[in-house]
Amino acid sequence: MKRRATASVFAVLLLWSSPALAWDPFPEDGDNTPPQGEREPDPVPFIAPPPGIYYVTDTYVADVVTSTGTLTTYSTTTVHESTGSYARVLDMVGTGASSAFDGSAFNGRRTLGDGRSVAGTYYENYVLGADGFVPVSIVFFQDDAELARLLAAVPVPAVNTPAPSIPATASPTARPSPPACCGTERPTIASPTLAPARPIQPRISLLPLGAPVAMLEVLRGRAVSLYPRAFVGDREIPVRSWTVIGGDAGDALVTAGSGAVAFRTSWRRLAPPGAVFEVVFRIEVDTPETGHRTIDTAIAVVVRSPALER
Amino acid sequence: MVLTIVLAPLLLVTLAGVLQLGALRVAAARVRAAADLATLVAVNDQDDAELARSGRLRLSADAVDVAREYFARELELSSALLGSAPDEIAAAADVAAYPAAPAHDAWTGARYDRPTVRIAAHVPVKTPVFGALAFRPVTTIDVLSVSSPR
Repeated sequence: MKRRATASVFAVLLLWSSPALAWDPFPEDGDNTPPQGEREPDPVPFIAPPPGIYYVTDTYVADVVTSTGTLTTYSTTTVHESTGSYARVLDMVGTGASSAFDGSAFNGRRTLGDGRSVAGTYYENYVLGADGFVPVSIVFFQDDAELARLLAAVPVPAVNTPAPSIPATASPTARPSPPACCGTERPTIASPTLAPARPIQPRISLLPLGAPVAMLEVLRGRAVSLYPRAFVGDREIPVRSWTVIGGDAGDALVTAGSGAVAFRTSWRRLAPPGAVFEVVFRIEVDTPETGHRTIDTAIAVVVRSPALER
Repeated sequence: MVLTIVLAPLLLVTLAGVLQLGALRVAAARVRAAADLATLVAVNDQDDAELARSGRLRLSADAVDVAREYFARELELSSALLGSAPDEIAAAADVAAYPAAPAHDAWTGARYDRPTVRIAAHVPVKTPVFGALAFRPVTTIDVLSVSSPR
C-alpha cells in the first residue's frame, strides 16, 4: 500500500512538472560568455618596434668631402628636421673594414685615396605603417679623414731601367742613368713631417660655461643637462656635434646634437649596488687649428634615491 | 543579575581602554608617516649650484625649512588626533639637515655617510578615555625620522 502511494505521489509530481520560470535581472546584457572567434579587433594593435629604433630628428642631406691643406675630411651633412621616419643603427665600420651592408646604401660608400673604404655608420630607415615599421632604405653616414698622400707628388727616379741612348749632347731634361753599382737600390725618400696635432681634452659640464665634472651624483628622476665640451690647452674650442655612443643614457629624448645643445636626460632606476652608470660621448670638433677630429669621453653617473634610515 | 551589574562597568572600562590604545597606535603610525614623508621630501631636493660646480649631491640650503613645512602639512591631515596645532608641533620639532657627509648627529649620536635630514619631535596626541580614567588626557609620542639618498 505504501509503495503504491509513493509511486502515485512521484507520478503526480512528474506530471505536474514544468520548466522553472527563472527571472533574468539583466536581460539586456545578453550572453555574458563571449563567443569564441568573434573578438573585437584591437583598435590600436601593439606593434613591436625593431630593437634600437628611434625617431629621426636629423635628416640626411649629402655626403661632403672637404680638403683643408693636407687633410681630407669625409663627413655627412644633415638638417635638423623630422620627416616622420624612424631609423636604427645597422653597423658601424672602421676605415677599410668591410660590412655586410656594403653596396646596399642608396648613397654608397666612398673610398680613401688608397682605395680603402671610409669609416662610418650604416642606418636603416623605417616608416610606421598600419602593418608596423617598414624598412624603406639604408643610408651610410661617412665619418673619416685622411692626410693627403704627399709621396705621390714626389718624382720617383728611374730605377733599374735600361739606360736610354744618350745623344752626344745630352738634353738638359734627360735623366741620368744610375750607376751600375746602385742600379737595384731603391732611393730613400724622407717622408714629410707633419706638425703633431695638438691634444684635445674633452670635458663634460652641467652648465655651458660651468666647471667640468668627471662624476655626477644625481637624484633619481631628476632631469640634468650635460654639455660636452672640448679644450686645447686652456682654451675652449667649439664643439661641432656630439653623440652618445655607449653607456646608459637614461631617459634621454635625443642622444645626439650640435655643440650648442645640451644632452638632457634623467635616470629612473638605480644602478646595481656598487656600480655606477657611465655615459660615453663622442665629440666632434672641426676648427682650423685642430682640423676635423672626434674624441671620446665618459662621465660616471651615480643615481641616488631618498630613503629612510630609521 | 547581580554579577552582571557588578562586572559591566569593569568590562566597559576595559573595552574603552583597549579602544583608546588602538586609537593611540593609529595616531602614532600617522605621526611617524608624517615625519618620514617630510624628511623624504626634504632630501629629494638637490643643491643645483653644488651640482653644477662639483657634480656632487648636496642638500638644498632650505632643506630644514622644507622638512618642517611638510611635517606641518602632513600633521594637518591628522589634526583631529593631535593635542596641539600642527604648526606648533612642527615649529617645536628638532629638524636638522646635514648637507655634506660625513656628519655626526649630536642628538642621536649617529654618523651619516651621505647628506641627511633628521626630524625629532614630541607630538601630543589626544587620549580622552585615558583622561577619564584618571590618566593623562594627552599622550606624547616621540618620533624620530632620518632620511638620506642611497
